[in-house]
Amino acid sequence: MTATGTIGTIAFAGERSGDAPLTWGQRAIWEAIERTAPDDHYFNFGRVVRLGARPASVDGARWALARLVERHESLRTLVVDGRQRVRTCGELPVAVGDDPDVLLAELTAPAFDYAREWPLRVGLVTSGADVTHIVMVFCHLAADGLGAEEAVRDLRLLLLRGEPRGSRPPQPMDIAHWQQARDGRRVAAEAAAHWDREHRRIPQTMFDVPSGAGERPPIWRASLRSPAIDLAAQRLAVKHGTSTSNVLLTAVTAMVARTTGHETVAMLPIVSNRFRADTRGAVSTMSQEGLFTLDVRADVGKVRFGELLGLARPAALRAYRSAYHDPADRTRVLDEVARDRGMPVHPYCCFNDMRFADHAVYRDDVLIRRALAETSLTWPMSQEQLNCRFCVHLSGTMDVSVTADTRWLSRREMEEFLRGLEDLLVEAALR
Amino acid sequence: MKQRLAELVSESCDGQLTPAEVLAASVPLSYLGVTSLAQMRLIDAIEREFEVEIDLGGDVSFLDSVGGLADWLAAR
Repeated sequence: MTATGTIGTIAFAGERSGDAPLTWGQRAIWEAIERTAPDDHYFNFGRVVRLGARPASVDGARWALARLVERHESLRTLVVDGRQRVRTCGELPVAVGDDPDVLLAELTAPAFDYAREWPLRVGLVTSGADVTHIVMVFCHLAADGLGAEEAVRDLRLLLLRGEPRGSRPPQPMDIAHWQQARDGRRVAAEAAAHWDREHRRIPQTMFDVPSGAGERPPIWRASLRSPAIDLAAQRLAVKHGTSTSNVLLTAVTAMVARTTGHETVAMLPIVSNRFRADTRGAVSTMSQEGLFTLDVRADVGKVRFGELLGLARPAALRAYRSAYHDPADRTRVLDEVARDRGMPVHPYCCFNDMRFADHAVYRDDVLIRRALAETSLTWPMSQEQLNCRFCVHLSGTMDVSVTADTRWLSRREMEEFLRGLEDLLVEAALR
Repeated sequence: MKQRLAELVSESCDGQLTPAEVLAASVPLSYLGVTSLAQMRLIDAIEREFEVEIDLGGDVSFLDSVGGLADWLAAR
């Protein structure tokens, strides 16, 4: 069922316009978009804001959305000739429908026209005179998952009390200027040194043996719904004094070692880059890849997981810091390493923890064992193009997916990886 | 110094620990729920406030207690 239409546009008039280089985060996404086109709709994502017991009027929803776009310059920024162009005024088209999921799917499907189209698409779900849901679809240049959460929070406050949070949020144009100046260059240089040092010692790539079982299309996603992984990770986090995020990054790294036979594993975790006071609260795309390396050595099965966690913690801090880097430096460093080693070096192995909460509780044995019965595996997606060989995504409590190039990891191996990850975590938790 | 550091730890984990709890801690901060994200915020806060640079290349266990941080800063 679909009844999607449009109900005109929303006019907005912000404070300033401007032109600046892309921020590091924007540049990283821009490069990924260029590599992934024409499948670049892959990067679009959205949020459905349920208004629940406090529906808005159509005018009220339009008013709040206009103020949101005025407040966050990223939502009125185009990318022209590889630079960000902030526009002061404009009109945002508004879709309308009666099913939020249908509206979300329709608004997410087409790729954005980055130089001409506003990077936010909005839709209203109405019931009589009431707006029951507001759907927002983001171009990834305008926001990442956490940036979208900031936008949702501001939208809710605008609807509820007519104003957003007090302080002016960080704006991408200002972040870009800081990154170009002395302090930004110092941070960039330190990160570049990490990328350089580690690329001189890691394997050329992680999945380097053809599977002999490439599919058509070659890219597949296996998704394991496993509450047991969530519970086991929580217990391990409490037991070893770390976060579930670190537990899961370490476990995935151990499984990559087991699957590939490499004793030094390099992973590219997607890092929020919202640690700094001058980036927190920004509706922008701040996330970038960091470089996480761990020497797993010997047979993973024999190494105690707790010991590996101890090594992983400082390695994760270094990886998180390396994520706030200038992609141009990274390209330069990788070119130099390729020249010196006589081959290109790239892990093609990434890790994206998209969960928002990381609260660990010590879970008892019975609960973890019982949860194993709820595990299920699905194959939700396949496509032609992916600029990676192996991507792990975590969401909810807990869905773990592997999106892989079957030419390097067969579907059977993808399933074995996910089941092995569950076994490793549950066994370590119950040990 | 320790009081101020405890305040920064508390702010870095969005108030999930009070400065008093941080000061009273007898186990590493990570066991009290100071996540890697909070630790990265803390590093930023300390670098700003004390105008230092924290090198993550070596032993970083001093990040795990207010006493360790205070000693590290005193040795600068």
